[in-house]
Amino acid sequence: MVHRRLHGRGALFDVDPAGLAPRLVGLRPHQHRGHPFEHPGELPFVVLTGARGLGKSAVLAELRDAYKGHTPVALIDCAEPQFAGPPAERPAESWSPVAQALLVIAEQLAAPVTGAGRITFPRLMSGLVAVAASGWGDADSERIRREVERILLLNESGSWVSGLAGRWAGKVAAKVVAAATGTGPLVSGAIEATLESVAEGFTSRRHQKASVWYRTYPNAGGHAQRGLMLLAEHFRAGGTSREHAERYLVRALLADLTEAYAGVLPRMQRLGRPLVLIDDAQTAPGPGLVEAVLSDRAQGITDQVVFVAARRGEGRGELRSAVRRELPEVARRSGWTPDAAPSSRALLVALAPLSPDDTLHIVGAVCDDVPVPPQLPHATHRLTGGNPLGIALLAESAAQNRAGSLGELLTADVRLDEDHDASPAYQALLDRLVPAEHLDELTVLAAAHDHDSACALAAALLPDTFGPADVRALRTRLAEEGLPTVPGQFVGDPFVRTLLLLRLHLRDPDHASWRTAHETLIAHYPEPGQARYRLHHELALGNTESAVAELRDTFHTADIRTWLRTLRFVASAPYFHAHDADGRDFTGHGDRRAAVALGRTDAGQEPPEGADAVLHLRVRRLLHAVWQLGDPLVLPDPKVCDRLRFELEQLSNLRPAGNALLWRASRDWPAAALAGRPMADPGDPEDTDDGPDDRSGEA
Amino acid sequence: MARRGVGTWVRESVWEIPLRRYLALLVTAALVTGLVFGVRTLMHEDRSCAPGVSRPADSDECVGVATGSYDFEHAQLRDVVRAIARENDRLKPGSYVTVALMLPYSSTAATNLNDIQHQLQGAYLAQYQANHDANGEAPAIRLVLANPGATGDHWEQTVDQLARMTTSADRLRAVAGIGQSTDNNKKAVQALTRRGIPVVGSSITADDLANGQGGKDPYPGLARVSPTNTDEARALASFAKVSAGKALLVYDKPGDPYTRTLQESFAALIKGSPYEPQPFTPPADRSKEGTTANTFRQITHLVCDTSRETDTILFAGRHTQLRQFINALGGRGCQDRKFTVLTGDEASYLTHERDLDRDALRHHLSVRYTSLAHPDAWAKDPAKTGGSAADFGVLQRLLTAAERKPSGPIGSVALDDGQLIIGYDALQLAVHGIREAVPDGRNVPSLADVGLQWPQVKGSLRVSGASGWICLDVHGNPYDKAVPIVELTPEGGSRFVKIAWPEEKPPAKECLPPS
Repeated sequence: MVHRRLHGRGALFDVDPAGLAPRLVGLRPHQHRGHPFEHPGELPFVVLTGARGLGKSAVLAELRDAYKGHTPVALIDCAEPQFAGPPAERPAESWSPVAQALLVIAEQLAAPVTGAGRITFPRLMSGLVAVAASGWGDADSERIRREVERILLLNESGSWVSGLAGRWAGKVAAKVVAAATGTGPLVSGAIEATLESVAEGFTSRRHQKASVWYRTYPNAGGHAQRGLMLLAEHFRAGGTSREHAERYLVRALLADLTEAYAGVLPRMQRLGRPLVLIDDAQTAPGPGLVEAVLSDRAQGITDQVVFVAARRGEGRGELRSAVRRELPEVARRSGWTPDAAPSSRALLVALAPLSPDDTLHIVGAVCDDVPVPPQLPHATHRLTGGNPLGIALLAESAAQNRAGSLGELLTADVRLDEDHDASPAYQALLDRLVPAEHLDELTVLAAAHDHDSACALAAALLPDTFGPADVRALRTRLAEEGLPTVPGQFVGDPFVRTLLLLRLHLRDPDHASWRTAHETLIAHYPEPGQARYRLHHELALGNTESAVAELRDTFHTADIRTWLRTLRFVASAPYFHAHDADGRDFTGHGDRRAAVALGRTDAGQEPPEGADAVLHLRVRRLLHAVWQLGDPLVLPDPKVCDRLRFELEQLSNLRPAGNALLWRASRDWPAAALAGRPMADPGDPEDTDDGPDDRSGEA
Repeated sequence: MARRGVGTWVRESVWEIPLRRYLALLVTAALVTGLVFGVRTLMHEDRSCAPGVSRPADSDECVGVATGSYDFEHAQLRDVVRAIARENDRLKPGSYVTVALMLPYSSTAATNLNDIQHQLQGAYLAQYQANHDANGEAPAIRLVLANPGATGDHWEQTVDQLARMTTSADRLRAVAGIGQSTDNNKKAVQALTRRGIPVVGSSITADDLANGQGGKDPYPGLARVSPTNTDEARALASFAKVSAGKALLVYDKPGDPYTRTLQESFAALIKGSPYEPQPFTPPADRSKEGTTANTFRQITHLVCDTSRETDTILFAGRHTQLRQFINALGGRGCQDRKFTVLTGDEASYLTHERDLDRDALRHHLSVRYTSLAHPDAWAKDPAKTGGSAADFGVLQRLLTAAERKPSGPIGSVALDDGQLIIGYDALQLAVHGIREAVPDGRNVPSLADVGLQWPQVKGSLRVSGASGWICLDVHGNPYDKAVPIVELTPEGGSRFVKIAWPEEKPPAKECLPPS
């Protein structure tokens, strides 16, 4: 899955006209050429939002690759274990995710770029040493040396005096270790040693300025040392005091960066702005960093650092007043203007799904030398709904396994990189698209339509500890993750739902869970008015008889629009496995639905007594045709499409009142199926109907 | 990055980064400048020869005013040039004025070089005397060498340079020398005098390179040491008693100012001669051989065809042609007939001429000419006025002193061609003019005042030159200047014959030209 460039992200990376990234960073991606800023003064804190698999991490990685070596870039993933908790031996009072993130970010930003040398972070260094010193109460000198030397490297300029600076770091480390292990107040000793050494070792105006920066710490009374002491104290105290200290550390980092860009010489050496990329910003230290930067900027403490964070979900809670844009909207102009609220300094950009064209390009790129059916890209797009991860993984599966149906591609093993074992594609996708800790629950609940049905499923298939409250919690979690909430479906995203149902289907060798789930739901909808749900799940179990009977019997009486909608809803039942006439597993290959739809099994069919035999068979063929063509896992069959058109035409002759609708459907549905589009209500392309299940036909 | 082109590299790694861009521009500018200078150095070689002297664009000659110790690449001039440089370096800035000796130093002809060397030696001796033996009279004299080119083609450059030196610290106050009476020299003298620079002609004899001809003064500020051709011809005539029936005129056609005035003077002497004057046409550069030798062989036949009383041939030409003519006469058919060739001072060049067929002089052929000066003049012909052995003795003492330091060495010395004497006298006249023009209480004269002194050089203010008294008339021409008549000897030298006087007798003691 190595793509030279990202597909469908031109709004960010385009050069001419420039996308969001070059307009903010001031550099063309992958080139060392300047570009005018869109926001020359204050700039927005960009937060990319979207559910899992929408390519947020890929965008950040591409941003890093595009600007690495051209401008200082740092990329941290807040979900990494190094930010989850302090390393062994290190007390929690001297460690926080934010402090760790600042250290890692500064280490990455320090790297030299074309035209300019390393950036030094004397302020952040002093602050981090002060914070770390809190934890050296009973540490051995070796650990202290290790910790302090890593922090001191932030002041490494890497120039021709680096030998000198190296000696300096060693000297300071020795001094700090001596102060820390000796008698007397520990923290102040370490801080004193650090500050002294900073002031001594560097005589330039720049370093002098840095050494007195902490004078302005609240209540420091003009003494840098006292400021650092207070910072360490606040940090150690935890709670809001720690947040205050952390904000000051973030400010130190930004001040160091601002300093690195100030002056005539740096301005003549450095192009663009530094770039800090924060992945998984919804987890700590992400919110802390975001909040600190936003509140500083709101207070008028400006900086010129381009922050691009990526977070799951829309962050309605924390970033309430943020400016929200869809990705295509920011392609030429962000239209961002802040107001008083700190969170309004954030610009939330929702990553859009990929277009069919992008899908075509990705499949073409991955399956470079493997022949794939011409319909595969469109079918892939229909299945994934433009989810970049889904498209890429399916394309990879197609490349590795030779093309087959989408069902085969999903269940086939796919090896994503050399280090990992091959696993089924759907499994690999679910690992990345669904929170791992809730995978099992979601697998079961995916079949549900609403809270009640979900509770019924949970009662039947999940441990007793998982009650209705947990169902609600899970639903909220999904919404926070950025998955769409769709009425009539517990799991709103059709692609994720399909994958989860496939997992449910394959969980037991005899599909026991699958059967139990659907039988539970059939039992959950006993009312006549709920027939469509019942029939839907019966169809999922392979039982078509009652659905055919119901549709046949209501054809003459029901409103034809409702009838068509019921047909689509019922026929949207998942179909993962070939079934024989009795709904049992069918070992042979091939899709029996096509055979039924094309009338090849009509001879063996015995219409029930008293029923219109022709209509019965026609409805049966029609149901199977819609079932097959609406199945996101099956490539559309032109012959079945033809048959669908024919059957709908015939039906339209039988119902003069609904003639127009039926005739319209006979034209629209086959075309939509062939094009890989969902079959919509005839004459109603946007599907704006009021039915609670109107989108379910797309699944 | 390796895949990217050089253009991309320059664009992204140099041009886009302002610091590197400016550095690169600086380096590029430096390289371009260096390249331009390099190419210019390669394309145009250094045209300067020495301080003040350079090669003009179209020539290889070093022309200009040599202010340092530059000998124009003639070893012959080295000693005297060094002596002059020593003397110049000794002078304190501000205490001196400069006199330029303008001669064709870059000439390669051996006779010209002898002439130049001797004039330069004479000028140096005069400078030395002015700076050392004159009771500390101010100002001191600095001597520089002005070269207008071998044929004077580059006189404009040199004159411009000289003109600039009149206002600079050099304080140029006079130009001496000039040498032959050629057209270029005439233009140079005209340009110099037009700019108010006084000129002292040393060996100029041409009539039209003089003032007072036809009542006009075309060269205000020009003074001459040598008599005009007319005066020489008159002196020659008074000596030889030439009459129309006994003489044949051979002349240079078209001629230059010297030959033309000589020709005119001779023609006037033999007016009514039965023989048609015989022309010859030499090359433009008259020091070149050309094809005139053939012409002279033909003229030789004509000479033999004349009646027997004809025994004088008047020759109005330059020395190279004279030599060819003498050689041709040496092979004439009528060896039994006795002939005397009379000519102007140009013949003095032949004194040491190697190409001269001296054997011709043993066969009834004598060559007599007016010399500008001759060392034996005052010893053998002690006239009471017009010059004296004592005046000449001063020069001889200087010469003796110059055999060693401090004034010498000045190279090999020869007096019999008169050039050294005339050079000495020319500079003496210049020094005289300069020092006479110094206003009371100051030690440097103004440029204009120097030229105004020439008409006063008479009576007791005359210059008692080694070649004779120099009394100038109102036009700056010498009045009744002693003209030594000299004869070429077969042994390779010249023999003084007699002093002739343009006015047929020496000037009166007062030496006042008639108004």
